[in-house]
Formats: sequence, C-alpha cells, structure tokens
Amino acid sequence: MATLGTRERGALTHPDLHRLDDVNRDVLKMLTTPGKGWWILFGIAAAGVGLFFTMWIRQMVLGIGVSGLNAPVGWGVYITTFVFWVGIAHSGTLISAILFLFRAPWRQSIYRAAEAMTVFAVMTAGLFPLIHVGRLWHAYWLIPYPNSRFLWPNFKSPLVWDVFAITTYFTVSATFFYLGTIPDIAAARDRATGLRKKLYQLISLGWQGSDSQWHHFGKAYIFLAALATPLVLSVHSVVSWDFAMSIVPGWHTTIFAPYFVAGAIFSGIAMVITLVVPMRKIFGLEAYLTTKHFDAMAKLMLLTSLIVFYAYLSEFFLAWYSGEEVERTAFWNRLFGTYWWATWTMLVCNGFVPIMLWFKRVRYSIPALFVISIFVNIGMWFERYVIVVTSLHHEYEPFAWGIYRPSVTEMCILLGSFCWFSFWFLLFTRLLPPVAIQELKEVMPPPMRKQAGEAH
Amino acid sequence: MADVQAPTEIPVRYLPRSTRATMLAGAAVIVGLISFVIRLGQNPESAWISYVTNWLFFTSVSIGGVLFAVATWIVKAKWNWSVRRVSQSFVAFLPISFLLMLPMLGIGETYFPWIEMMETDPVVANKAAWLNMPFLVTRNVIMVGLLFGMALYFVYHAVRPDMGLLQEAGDKESSRSGWRDKLTQGWRGQEQEEVNSYSRMTKLGPAFVMIYALTMTIVSYDWVMSLEPHWFSTMMGPWFFMGAFWTGIAGTALWSLYLRTQDTAFENHIGLQQRWDLGKLSFAFCVFWTYLFFSQYIVIWYGKLPWEQAWIIRRSDPPWGAYSALVIVLCFIIPFAGLIGRKPKMKPALLATFTSIILFGIWLERYGMVAPSLYHEGDPIFTHWQPLIGLMFLGLYILAVRWFLSTFPAIQVWQPMVDAETLEAEVAVEVPSPTT
Repeated sequence: MATLGTRERGALTHPDLHRLDDVNRDVLKMLTTPGKGWWILFGIAAAGVGLFFTMWIRQMVLGIGVSGLNAPVGWGVYITTFVFWVGIAHSGTLISAILFLFRAPWRQSIYRAAEAMTVFAVMTAGLFPLIHVGRLWHAYWLIPYPNSRFLWPNFKSPLVWDVFAITTYFTVSATFFYLGTIPDIAAARDRATGLRKKLYQLISLGWQGSDSQWHHFGKAYIFLAALATPLVLSVHSVVSWDFAMSIVPGWHTTIFAPYFVAGAIFSGIAMVITLVVPMRKIFGLEAYLTTKHFDAMAKLMLLTSLIVFYAYLSEFFLAWYSGEEVERTAFWNRLFGTYWWATWTMLVCNGFVPIMLWFKRVRYSIPALFVISIFVNIGMWFERYVIVVTSLHHEYEPFAWGIYRPSVTEMCILLGSFCWFSFWFLLFTRLLPPVAIQELKEVMPPPMRKQAGEAH
Repeated sequence: MADVQAPTEIPVRYLPRSTRATMLAGAAVIVGLISFVIRLGQNPESAWISYVTNWLFFTSVSIGGVLFAVATWIVKAKWNWSVRRVSQSFVAFLPISFLLMLPMLGIGETYFPWIEMMETDPVVANKAAWLNMPFLVTRNVIMVGLLFGMALYFVYHAVRPDMGLLQEAGDKESSRSGWRDKLTQGWRGQEQEEVNSYSRMTKLGPAFVMIYALTMTIVSYDWVMSLEPHWFSTMMGPWFFMGAFWTGIAGTALWSLYLRTQDTAFENHIGLQQRWDLGKLSFAFCVFWTYLFFSQYIVIWYGKLPWEQAWIIRRSDPPWGAYSALVIVLCFIIPFAGLIGRKPKMKPALLATFTSIILFGIWLERYGMVAPSLYHEGDPIFTHWQPLIGLMFLGLYILAVRWFLSTFPAIQVWQPMVDAETLEAEVAVEVPSPTT
C-alpha cells in the first residue's frame, strides 16, 4: 500500500499551512507587540480585577452580611461560581489528556489554549471557597492538620475531599501544561531578546531539542496524560458529592458524579469555543483553527449536552417515580416554583439550544458556534445556581423555606471573576505560545526538495 | 503500519463452519431448555429469575457489541478495521433475544412484587401510572423492538457493500449466495451503494446511541429497579448500559481472539494494535464500571436513607455479602490488576483470560442486581440452575454469532475510513501483512 505520508495528513488538517517556518512565525508573532484590541481587553479585565478585589476586601471588612447568604440558603452565588469555574477547567484536561490517549488529532490546534484555560479556571475557582468563608484569616482551617487539641478535620466530609481533589487537579494540570510548553518556550527563547529571553531561558530548562530530550519528553507526556485522565472524572465527582452526600432533596441523587463530569466538560468545551473564536480573529490564526476543529468541538459539545439532558430527564422522572412527597415537591418546585426562570434558562440553554448542533451547517459556522457557546456558558452557570439555590430554599420543613436574592457584592464578585480569568488568559496569549508549535509541526509536511504532486 | 490503517487488499475470510461446534451449542440449548422446564415445575419464581437474568446478560453483550461497532463508526476509528465485523456480528442474537423476551412479558406476579403491593402500599400506588403491566409490555416491546431494529439496519448497511465486492470478486460459493442475493436487492452499483451505506450509517449512528441509552434505561428500570418498588436510583440506567457496553467490548475481544485461532489471515490482521486497543478499552471500562458502581454506592452509604440503603444492605449483608464481594473482585480487582500492564493486553492468552473473567463477572453482576431483591429467607442464593438455564442463552448466542461470522466475511471488506488525517500513533507490526 502506498502509505499515506505525513504530507497529506498535515495538508488535510491544516490545508493552508505549507512550511514549518510559517508556524514559528505565526505563533511567535503573537508574542510581539500587542495591538490596540488586546490592550483594550486587557484594560477592561484589569479594571474588573480591581472591582473584584475591592468588593472582596469590602466584604471582609463589613462581614459576610453584605452578601445575600442567610438561612436557609447558606450557599449561593459563590458556591455556584466555584462549581462553574471548576467545571470550566475540565475540558482542558479532556482535550489535552483524554483526546491524546484516544489519538484524536484535531486537539493539536486548541489544546494549549484549553490547558491554559484549565489552569486559570482552577485559579479562579480556588478563590471562591476563600470568598465564601467570609473570614479569610481562618481559611487555613481548610488544610487538613490536627488542631491544638489534636483533632483532625472530619475526613468523612466531602468538603475536605474537595481540598484534596482541587489541589491535586491544579498541581497535575499545571505540570501537564508546563511540560507541554517547554519545547515551545525554547522556540520563543531563540527569537526573544533582553529580559524576555532571560525569562524564557529560565523556564525552558535548557531545552535543546536533542533526541534524548524528545524521548524523555514523549514518555513524560504520555504518563502525565494517563495520570490526568482519572482526574477529569474524580475532581468533579468530588465536587458533585459536596451536594449529593447530604440528604437535601434535589441534591441527594446517585447520578450526580457522572452528571457533573459531563456537565463540566460541556461547559468547558463551550468556554474553549468562546475563547478561541476571538483569539483566532485577533491573531489571524485562521489557518490553524479550521472549521474542522470547530466541527469536532461542536460534536463533543453536542454529546455532553445529551448526557446532561439525560441526567435532567432521569432526575425529573425518578423524582416522580419515587412516589415520595418531598422528592416530587422539590422537583415540581424547581420547574414551577419561585426560581422557575433559572430552571428554564438552564433547560433551554443546555438542552434545547444545542439541538442546533445536529445540523452540519451550524457546526461549520463559527459565528453560530460562538453564540451557542455563550448560551451554554450561561446555561451551565444557571444549572449550578438551580442546584444550589432551589434545593436549599425549599427543604423538608415548610417553616424553614425562604428566598435568596444575590446582593450587589455577589454580582460584582461574579463579574470580577470573569475579569480575573480573562486577565490571566490575556497575559498568557502574550507570554507563552498559545498554539502548540511542536505538535503542529508533527502533523505538517516535512520539508522536501520537490513540492507536492509527485508520486505517492 | 497496516495495523492501524486497513490495507488496500483485504482477504475475504469466513469463520470455518464446524458441525462439532454447532452440535455442542445445540446441545447446550437443549440442556438449558430442559433445565428451564424442570425448574419451572419445581420453583417458577427461581426459574424465571434465571431466565430473566440470563436474558439481561446475553442481550447486554449483544447490544453492547453493536453499540461498540456504532461508537467506533461515529468517531471514525480506523484501528478496529479488522474487528469491526466481530462487534457487528453480535447483532445476530438480537432477533432471538426479542423472541426470548416475549414470554417474560407474561410472567406478571411471579416476578414483579409491585403487582401485589399496589393494593396495600400507598407509595407504590403513587407509581401506578408507570408500574402497570399493559404499559410495561407496550414500552418494552416498542423500545426494545425499535432498538434491535435500528441495530439490524445499521449492520445491514455495513454488510451490504461487502456483498457487492464479493460479487465483483466472483465469489460463487452457493452456501452463502442466498444471503448475498437477499442483501443486494435493488442494487445500484458498488460506488453508489457504498456512499449510500456510509451516509445511512453515519446518520443512524447518533440516533442509535440515544435510543440505546433510553431503551436500556427502561429495561433496567423495569427488570431490575422495580423489583424493590421503594428503591430508586438515577444511576441505575447508566450503570446498566455502560456495563452492557463493556461486555460488548470484552465480547469483541474474546471472539476476535477466537477467530485468530481459526485462520492465518485472522491471526495476521487481528494484530498487536487491535489487541492492545481492545485491552486498553477493556481496562478503561473496568475503571469506569467501578466508578459508576462506587458513585452510586457512596451516595447511598452516606445518605443513609432507609428506603435507599435497603437495596445496598440486602446485597452487602449475609447471605449476599460474599456474592457481591465476588462480583467486585471479578469486575474490578482482577481485571484492573491484570490489564494495567501492556503485556497482558497484547498476549492473546492473557487478554482472553481477563476478558472472560470480565464477562463472567458481569454475568454474576446481572444476577446480583435481580435475585437479592426477590430473595426469600432460607433459600440458597445461587444454585446450579442458574448456569444450566444460562446454557440455553449461551448456546443460542454462540450459534447466532457463529452463523453470522461464517455467512458474512468476518473481516469487513469495505473499509471506508481511509481519510488520512488521523494516521498516527502506530505500534510496530508483529507479523508483516501478507496481503497483495
């Protein structure tokens, strides 16, 4: 058989790329002087970060009473947003680790951005337990160590598991991210000058691209991918158990772990699309991020949307099937109670809007995908809001029912978290190559004397 | 290279017909049937539990295999080119499975405790709109029929282009020409048929997956969950159908390894890459099964709700505790420890051993899902009737799959997944491909 060589492969994945040098040029160009658009976005993000910390410090000074949290709804926007950002983190690892193990080549153009997104999303999420505890100076209580009476924290509490899960996830995904960038940082180092060169020299760990270095790199990468894969499942499972372990109606249901994982990947893919579409436009990466990549992401989004919708249906159906008054009321209240608008936002954004992804024309239209991804981001935030708030405000005893309204502080901190995340992401696009140079080159045509068209 | 990507020339090979195998499988069917009839006279409830659990298991394997064929089709997998047909061949048991389901719809009170409880128990009475025999019969017949119909249609389109290719190659063997003629009715030329099949299969695939999840959920709710009418778990469906998917993968691995012993072409083409990947998937789904099992268990254990933990307690306390532990050992501990390395995935003997253990484990698991719910104090938990009645299903399953693999090319000749873009991550080939 005339084996299909690397040239055709690369040509098919990235039909408009012809030379290896182009990749270095195009990707590293992003690291040079930024345009006006970048500065505007960065300015907005920096202002939002200012707002974020101002409101947080204000809350520390005035007390947690400035939020809307009170009995019976003691978990509100902060926990919702925490779960949201942890969820966003997931698709980065999915794309970089699981799709790598599944030999799905389309990940190559987006995985660097997705991994960076993971790291920054976990960084954002990690702030929310600290915000939520109110008294930040007591936050070290989260760390499992015995207190002055040698009592350990309760290891049966899912909140302690969470501390472990999130820190492990952050460590592994940051290591994985960093490892993958080393050859690219070295490529950037070779072009940089001055202070930047010093920095890149330091963090590229003396990479020379020798055979033995590549060999070790490949080994380390596949091992980390295999390690990171179970983490994709475990982290959000543990987050889901923060809810499912308790017997609050609407929280206590066995499907929560895989349902949360699927939801996390769903929202994460949507966020990747939301981030990558403007990046593609601003930095002129059309040749690197083709409609094929977007089609594949859209299909993944559709699959996870269906899983999430299956979970909704089975929850609603089994709440009815239980025959128990409390279960039935909890889910009836979700659909038609005080927070009906949140539930229907969730159902429409996560279940109905993605139906459009069944159509190839939608999957191939980047503006359409961008709009759908925004809907999904909104829907997935509301999903967590529905789970947290509608379940707590309407538990077993009618005398303990109550209404929760997010305060201005909470809304500002929510908004600020997006700015904080964007702040880091924008810096990333300027400091590290946001598209993986080395992996792209692997699938590109090797330099040949004769050009395309000869015998094969 | 040829290991991941299908070679240009694919040998037409069938599983050799064997009277001995047919006799053996036929004998198993007869023994199973007689056992069932005897047991029905002694203890109808126990006979039906064995019947239903064996039906659940063999239907899981068959539909799981088809789902594996569909899933790898949707993602345009190329590595499994030589074992694609093996997964598809499980479809042959589905029409039989449908017929075997029909008597189950008539057992009523012998099997479903909620029929009696409906009168006295207010919580169960709340569920009357779902838990009633006419609706149960309707939804099972319609959904299972639809799912199996879609499976048959999918495999039909996968086989049809092969029939044309055989005709072109001048394959005139009369014993198989009957099916070839049947499957090539309204033939419109090879190229158009291939395009047509490809597009039909690609369109049907995602719909099949959705109907699969829905139908298997309904099957698990009706035949497993409703046996303890106060118990409900949203994980029941996924746990049941992902387990079925897993048995489909393990079954594919086992049949592929069996094929290798039958013909050198199989031996060469079901190569290192295929075994490695089947091993990896068997391992991955072992972890995934455990994950689903554990996620359900821990939520129930932690919640300690009376109606919810009853289901777990019944299975973890004597007399069922040791049985459940055995299921976990067979479905998790042994395959996890056994398949984690690279060698056991590639060595045919080891892979066959571990996939057999997986299948045996899930066979016990399906029984463990049902039988403890209907258990009466003092009865033995497991009797020889369970495997004896199982022989009937095993025999029919083997006959059906053998028939399929010896009637249609056991390696799919039509290989449409040749777009070169995903050619990567090959491993070294063990045996040079003997084609061309």
